[in-house]
Amino acid sequence: MAKQMLLDAYRGKRTEYAPWVPYAGVHCAHIINEPADKFLQDPEIMAKGIVATAKRYKADGIPLLFDLSVEANSVGCDLKWWPDNVPSVTTHPCSNKTPKEAGLKLPTKDSGRWPVLFKAAKIVKPQLEDLDCAMIGGFCGPLTLGAHLAGVRLFTDVYKHKEFAAEVCKFAGEIGARAAEFYAEMGCDIIASIDPVASQIRPATFREYVTPNSQAAIKIIHDAGITSSFFICGDATKVMDEVCQIGTHGFAIDEQMNMNFIRDLARKYGVGFGGNLKLTLALSLGLLSPREDAIVSLAAGGQHGYTFAPG
Amino acid sequence: MSKSKEELLKALAEAVVEYDEDACKELSQEVLDNPNTLTPMEAVMNGLAAGMEEVGRLYDTHEYFVPEVLMCADALYAGLGILRPHIPKAEAGVNAQVVIGSIQGDVHDIGKNLVKMMFDVAGWGVHDLGRDVPLEQFVEKQLDTNSEVVAMSAMMTTTMLGMKKVIAMIKEKNPECLIMLGGAPVTKDVANLFGADGYADSAGNAVSEGIKMIGRLREFQASKK
Repeated sequence: MAKQMLLDAYRGKRTEYAPWVPYAGVHCAHIINEPADKFLQDPEIMAKGIVATAKRYKADGIPLLFDLSVEANSVGCDLKWWPDNVPSVTTHPCSNKTPKEAGLKLPTKDSGRWPVLFKAAKIVKPQLEDLDCAMIGGFCGPLTLGAHLAGVRLFTDVYKHKEFAAEVCKFAGEIGARAAEFYAEMGCDIIASIDPVASQIRPATFREYVTPNSQAAIKIIHDAGITSSFFICGDATKVMDEVCQIGTHGFAIDEQMNMNFIRDLARKYGVGFGGNLKLTLALSLGLLSPREDAIVSLAAGGQHGYTFAPG
Repeated sequence: MSKSKEELLKALAEAVVEYDEDACKELSQEVLDNPNTLTPMEAVMNGLAAGMEEVGRLYDTHEYFVPEVLMCADALYAGLGILRPHIPKAEAGVNAQVVIGSIQGDVHDIGKNLVKMMFDVAGWGVHDLGRDVPLEQFVEKQLDTNSEVVAMSAMMTTTMLGMKKVIAMIKEKNPECLIMLGGAPVTKDVANLFGADGYADSAGNAVSEGIKMIGRLREFQASKK
């Protein structure tokens, strides 16, 4: 395992070979035969699953968790739990009120599941150090978190009620900055803003709502000397220039993106990039050979700022 | 001077594309006020729905994104609300029903609501189960309503896997029911692997796929007689 090589790749540098990160998420629970809901709420089980998964897949880095409900839950959104998946956000406190009107407060280390994460990180960190494996913290980005807070209306409010949308996304960005602080304190080697739905808006809308509301978190990460990234899902082709310019050291994309396009763009901007082993077609369903898919990704990504990872 | 049929249809389609709810309402009222120009059904199918088809094209070419598509849908519904009560039942499109919902574990319903809208426009009877729908509920509702089509959507890879179970349950109880899948992780290969009859990679394709499937069902039933 090679933590430094991963940090170099995330920062867009050349590496001896492409380092590898399994974005395992609740798959870590499956590895140790535990249900996802128990895994996500019990620090000992969470730590056991993460370390077992890092060992099993010989990971150069692994996320502490991949669950975008943590931030929303820590400011009052209710969750529905599943034995085989991350929880779903079921209530939206800003569906008809601004965060201020709804009385929402920024999370503390005692809010929601943050205590579970702090405890898990304390157990995981030294064990990952022994494995030379980076610990990655990922928090919910401003548009996705804004959609958790306000519901689907946020997507039309970015046009119809701009002040409301701006207020919700600003608050979501402040929560993200607080989450980045927590992950830095936990000792994460890499911290990423994860904003999957940011692929579903125009570049101008991205610049208006996502870019500015990501800056506070990015500053906290960089001031702490930690490597940063921005994860996006879906076909993000049209907003990739904005992703490259958001200010993080690198980014990660999903299986819908063309790796040659992504590689060229990342190198143009001098940032790291990661992806895009096909999670659905190859890893889940086997419709494509995972081995051939991996070869295609590795060939396209090369050894310059590239991290091999599922997308 | 009142608009010609072509002008009115074009204006309705443009109002949808430009997500202009007020224009959709005004033009729909104009259709009702000028019954000799075009029928409400023509206005829906060749005006509002035609506009939505263009919206689908703009989405596919990345000129429109989710916010624009949702606002276009709002505009279409604004017109539909005025026109639909005036469409005679015999004229109201395909005489068929669909059970629709987002699969258990999935709280995403943007795509599902767009597909639902297209079924609405085409005159289908729509039984919307909402989001995060338990797998058995699709089967129960299909049997209760004897709907010809069950349409399921999933936005996540993990929840998508539940669709396969629903298809098996429905096909066991009613092999003639047709299943349509949609959602971000669902590809044509996935739909085939799961045993679905149709696949919609966008809201705009769902209705044409559904109508084709109904045609196939009727052919199948006729062949059995």
